[in-house]
Amino acid sequence: MNPFQYSRAADAPQALAGLAHQPKTKLLGGGTNLIDLMKMGVETPAQIIDITRLPLAQVEELPGGKGVRVGALARNSDVAAHALIVQRYPVLSEALLAGASPQLRNMATVGGNLLQRTRCPYFYDPAFSACNKRQPGSGCGALEGFNRSHAILGQSQQCIATHPSDMCVALAALDAVVRVQGPNGEREIPFADFHRLPGDTPEHETNLAPDELITAVDLPTSAWMARSHYLKVRDRASYAFALVSVAAAIEMEDGKIKTVRIALGGVAHKPWRAVAAEEMLIGKPAEEAAFRAAADVAVAGAKGYQHNTFKIELARRTIVRALTNVAKA
Amino acid sequence: MSTPTISPLVLGKPMNRVDGRLKITGAAKYAAEFSPPGVLHAFALTSKISKGRIAVIDTAAAELAPGVRTVLTHRNAPKLDQPNPSKNAGGGILNEERLPLNDDVISYGGQYVAFVVAQTLEQARHAASLIAITYEEAPPALTSKDAPDSGEKPKKNNGEAVQLKKGDADKGLAEKGLVVIERIYETPTETHSPMEPSATVAEWESKDRLTLHDATQYVKGVQDILAQTFNLKLENVRVLSPFVGGAFGCKGAVWPHLILTAMAAKVVGAPVKFALSRQDMFTGAGHRTPTMQTIALAATPQGELRAIRHRTETLTSHVGEFVESAGARSSGVMYACPAIAVEETVFKVNVATPTFMRAPGECPGTFALESAMDELAVALKMDPVALRLANHATQHPIKEKPWSTNHLPDAYRLGAEKFGWARRTAEPRSMQKDGLLVGWGMATATYPGYKMAAVANIHLSADGTAVVQCAAHDIGTGAYTVLTQISAEAIGLPVEKMKFELGDSDLPFGPVAGGSNTTATVGSAIYDAADALHLALAKLASADAASPLHGIPPAQIVMVGPGQMAGRNGPGKSDSFAEILRRAGKEFIEEKGSFKPPLVFQPGVAFQSFGAQFCEVKIDPALPRVQVTRFVSVMDCGRVMNAKTARSQILGGVVMGIGMALEEETIYDRATGLPATRNLADYHVPVNADIPEIDVHFVGEPDFAFNPMGARGMGEIGITGTAAAIANAVFHATGIRVRSLPITLDKLLA
Repeated sequence: MNPFQYSRAADAPQALAGLAHQPKTKLLGGGTNLIDLMKMGVETPAQIIDITRLPLAQVEELPGGKGVRVGALARNSDVAAHALIVQRYPVLSEALLAGASPQLRNMATVGGNLLQRTRCPYFYDPAFSACNKRQPGSGCGALEGFNRSHAILGQSQQCIATHPSDMCVALAALDAVVRVQGPNGEREIPFADFHRLPGDTPEHETNLAPDELITAVDLPTSAWMARSHYLKVRDRASYAFALVSVAAAIEMEDGKIKTVRIALGGVAHKPWRAVAAEEMLIGKPAEEAAFRAAADVAVAGAKGYQHNTFKIELARRTIVRALTNVAKA
Repeated sequence: MSTPTISPLVLGKPMNRVDGRLKITGAAKYAAEFSPPGVLHAFALTSKISKGRIAVIDTAAAELAPGVRTVLTHRNAPKLDQPNPSKNAGGGILNEERLPLNDDVISYGGQYVAFVVAQTLEQARHAASLIAITYEEAPPALTSKDAPDSGEKPKKNNGEAVQLKKGDADKGLAEKGLVVIERIYETPTETHSPMEPSATVAEWESKDRLTLHDATQYVKGVQDILAQTFNLKLENVRVLSPFVGGAFGCKGAVWPHLILTAMAAKVVGAPVKFALSRQDMFTGAGHRTPTMQTIALAATPQGELRAIRHRTETLTSHVGEFVESAGARSSGVMYACPAIAVEETVFKVNVATPTFMRAPGECPGTFALESAMDELAVALKMDPVALRLANHATQHPIKEKPWSTNHLPDAYRLGAEKFGWARRTAEPRSMQKDGLLVGWGMATATYPGYKMAAVANIHLSADGTAVVQCAAHDIGTGAYTVLTQISAEAIGLPVEKMKFELGDSDLPFGPVAGGSNTTATVGSAIYDAADALHLALAKLASADAASPLHGIPPAQIVMVGPGQMAGRNGPGKSDSFAEILRRAGKEFIEEKGSFKPPLVFQPGVAFQSFGAQFCEVKIDPALPRVQVTRFVSVMDCGRVMNAKTARSQILGGVVMGIGMALEEETIYDRATGLPATRNLADYHVPVNADIPEIDVHFVGEPDFAFNPMGARGMGEIGITGTAAAIANAVFHATGIRVRSLPITLDKLLA
């Protein structure tokens, strides 16, 4: 662990000033990922600013029926159990509860969850020298190495890591908006634009600027969101990262699909919205044949590696099952 | 002398753990929690390559880092004496023979290349990150295919033959009219992953006296190896290990970190603490070697086995020997068969040294043999239980000696009854329910009755309490409790008056907590010490004119009640421990007893435990993760010493077997040879949600030919057969035979 400075911010301006002053700053929320990575020598910040005293832990209704605002410092467990979330956005509650363990969820924050780093072993363990994400230009150890947990969609020759969050898959399905604050004030980032694909710069994982602070996630309101569901497939019954997960929602009208959402986890560098598959389901009956066709489209461009090719078929089946479940609900 | 004792009927009772309160309140102190004044903290830097040498190592920046006291590498580490584990009787275990930091050679990824000692752990870890190493790297050999010429066929493993030949198996397999199957089964590298990582605190009291707080299964073994390595008198090395947070075999041998920590404490002249990181545990404390087993079985159409051929390939490192005798310890003991051939080949690779892990040999061996038996049953269209009953061995199949006791057929029958096996329909995929595939499978479990050597000391006080001591271990097994019960029964005092002390090398000799031997071994020594104690008390009473027992020959004085002795033939008059000691003017009396067996076989009989494992799995055909939904485990281990801790032992074995069957695998990166799954997020062990109700039953009778308690060990048998029972259930559920563990869902997606 690198020596580092620690301070506690009393308010957002103080945190922002710290970020502006020292580029090698990390903000400390729950610390469940950051501290681990610091011990491993992956994250080596010069400064840690503890933001846990900032008043950003509320889950509240937005005025005018515009939805719900979830504060960046709300704990995963609190969000999962919140009545507004359970009733209106079950997919989000289910996704949160499918992640980590109760102890971790009690600590982990929404903002921190958005910024979770990949669990690729070549990234997480600096004993492996090849990792373009940790050390740009050093290569990708996973391409020819152990790549069972890795991406099948949207990856590049530079990086085939996956995003590990469950929560983010649900947020992708819900058209969430990330609210951030920077030196020039506030801005909103549509969820689809928040995380990045690896391309040639896998070290840049989000479009959050280094001097910005996440303050909240806004969830818009729509009737179909109450009929949503998260299905996670993993190697054991609990406490494991997703091999494949699917956040799904369906709204029916006159026996036909009016609205549908399909987001996948465990398959890409970011939560993966299967937009083409969603589009082709509009106007179709909620039947297995249609779900299968959509699932085929969702994985049409998928590419597997030595240990993860099974994810392509698994993703197909998980999409069909998630849509079937939510259609029955 | 064998004085009959009056049983306070404590043996067999489901007594709560005597150390339970200490553990749940946090009062039980584990090795890393000992902090002598001035203790310093160590962090180990490990090799990023698996084969080659260190060309340049630059420690200048690390040495200047804040708080750093020393940075040890192969260039400046003191040269130590090469210990010899077989030098002394009851000597220590050294799976990795190369001394740490001995030279610049790298034999495996994760090998310790520098050891940094600083005021704080964080300083040590930071300083280690400042060390720059240039390696001369060569491509590592990671599998037998990478090093085909390194294969050796060891003759023995722990003194027992491992290449077995009975009859002519090749001929038997070629006989006409038989049903023959030949299959290859693979088990991966598995890492013990106890809750408590290994840890050592080393303190030099003077230049020739060393004290170690160590998480070990063998305090006397650590004492022996460390005394040899640092050229100290045995009694000048003290090893303390009162509590161990799980071990499963990875804390039985002396691993390099022990020697490094003692070495560093000597160099800096202060106590040093080193706790392995979870990452270190995947390379620094052993693992179960992977196995590739080729099994051929031939049987008559009626299901009578005519030939078994079991060939096993395993791996070891270039710096240590280890043999995982999968064939000898399964096919070599299990079934009546006129022709049995067992071959074991060990290859040397650039991977850390393996060691024993819960039921070494039996565990992977029973996966292969019991999967093959299931395949044979399918080929014969015979019920798997019936096939096993038809081939039950009424004597040891290789040694051709009778078993001391063997109630395996009862275990099959009771297991089948408890499980409801009769309702099973044989056809795969025939038992679906609620859209899920249901599979029922079974397998045989086995583990030998092992005994080692031990000495027990009884300190009986005039107030009627006793302390019994032996340098044994409780690695979470319940040994504290069971040895307390055995002491109470053997001495003839209520358990509340007993205290058992263990985990200290200053105590009389105790064996490694391995081979499921502690209860059998230490219990036998306790009985011998109790005999000596009773005789000594009888002599005092006999010689004492004031005693009601005066003049009765001591050999005729026996126990008649708790703390009460009387003449064998003279009812009415009795004397008590307390009175005898009081009149003799003694505050206490102390007697020792010992036990020295042949390791396994006493002349004429073979000691072996058996059991039957039955399991149900449910599998979603579309998303086929295997969920074990029911498990029945029926064991014949002789007499049950404590119904509660015995059940826990079997539960733990089955849980670990479920992990082996479905989840556990240490994967090595092809390019670097480093483990790519060296944390508990990537190396999966079962979580609560993976574990169903496990229904444990015991059958059989006390094995008094084995020891005075009639008990064989239970620490390991629970894991044996478990993975096969699950794999067999998975086949029954899906029609897919998975011969390579773990059975992850990708193997069932077809």
